[in-house]
Amino acid sequence: MSESTPQASHLIEAIFLSSARPVTLDALCSATGLPEDEIGPALDALAGRYSPENSGIVLRKVAGGYQLSTNPACSFAVERFRAEARPAPLSGAAYEVLSCALYHGPLTRGAISRVRGVNSDAVVRNLLDRGLLAEVGADRDSPGSPALLDITEDFLVAAGAASREDFPPLDSLVREEELTRVRERILSAGDTQPPGDSP
Amino acid sequence: MTLDASGRALSDFTVELDVYSGPYEWLLALILKDELEIFEVPLRELVRLYLQTRNPLDPNALERDTDFAGSAAALILLKSRTLSPILEVDAEDVDEEIITPEQLAERLTEYMKVRHGAQTLRERFAASAGHHPSAHSLPPRPGRLQIKPERILEAARRSFSRPIEPTVRHLGPITVTLQELVSVIHSALIRGPVSFEVLVKDMDRLHSAVAFAAALSLAQEGRLKLSQAEPLGSLTLEPAE
Repeated sequence: MSESTPQASHLIEAIFLSSARPVTLDALCSATGLPEDEIGPALDALAGRYSPENSGIVLRKVAGGYQLSTNPACSFAVERFRAEARPAPLSGAAYEVLSCALYHGPLTRGAISRVRGVNSDAVVRNLLDRGLLAEVGADRDSPGSPALLDITEDFLVAAGAASREDFPPLDSLVREEELTRVRERILSAGDTQPPGDSP
Repeated sequence: MTLDASGRALSDFTVELDVYSGPYEWLLALILKDELEIFEVPLRELVRLYLQTRNPLDPNALERDTDFAGSAAALILLKSRTLSPILEVDAEDVDEEIITPEQLAERLTEYMKVRHGAQTLRERFAASAGHHPSAHSLPPRPGRLQIKPERILEAARRSFSRPIEPTVRHLGPITVTLQELVSVIHSALIRGPVSFEVLVKDMDRLHSAVAFAAALSLAQEGRLKLSQAEPLGSLTLEPAE
């Protein structure tokens, strides 16, 4: 093995291998002592080497950083080797709570329950335990200063997203005609009976 | 519900559900401690699992059946309590939130967007599953981690202690039963398919809600068919073939 100064890509590769968390560009510059314009091409080279077609390891751009992880095509062998099952899949209610936090966060438990129309405290607790939600502050303007909840780095990693902006805008998710139809149906029902008397 | 440590008849009954896998008694404890949402627990599936494991020749069969019936009834009560509208005892003392149709429409459209967002998230999580990061993590320093025996005892005490039975004092007099509404639905279906709106036209909110629950129940049992062409569209009840 050569004793000369390692290439930028080698340094970065070594850092990735030693980190279980995504590593930001700033952290890479700081750890390697290299400028950003040298890190960029090295990352491109690593992305080519660690692509799903070429390797059992892939380079992902997630949660504001970069992370080496196993290729999902190899997951069955990894899971068998580590003798651990994937976490239980999230429920529909859990995805709705995460969707609230993603698009409306940071927000309180009460705000989540209001959007969903049902108490969501138990679901929120489960997501806090799984590290997909975190308390990031308090709503000082509300009585009791309830905690504000937001998505976490683990959430972005689990969703394979680099940042919040990686998700489609909320308004683009439902067709306007569908929303209009629902609105019209409710308003026309409201014209025929007093509010709150329908099931 | 009998869950005391001595002679717990259901201690060997374990369940396998999507949301939980393990002893039935722990499932009850998790629900009562709000660690698991009652909505997520399919009660019908629980009953099916119990019937599968039931052995009528077991000398404790009667005790087991009684315990299961008692706990299942408590779960149904909890679930129905969560689903039912809150009965206001004294309307004068309560500022009832009146939602206008415009506000309701606004809330529902917002919820629809969030729900579609949830579907997008589900797909992204599924696509991203199977990525395992480096297993490297810094080991804890020796001597830093210690678990005191008192804490283990406390954890064990909490896990194995008898859950507090849910109180039912808050429930007002029940003026309508599922059975009544089932009869109403059966009578209406004699004449053929009927729209839910027509069925509940002259009912108050409580009767409408219970009628809805009754219709769902009958549909689940295959005794009628429910059809709805689109979300929030007209709901039609049809006799089962």
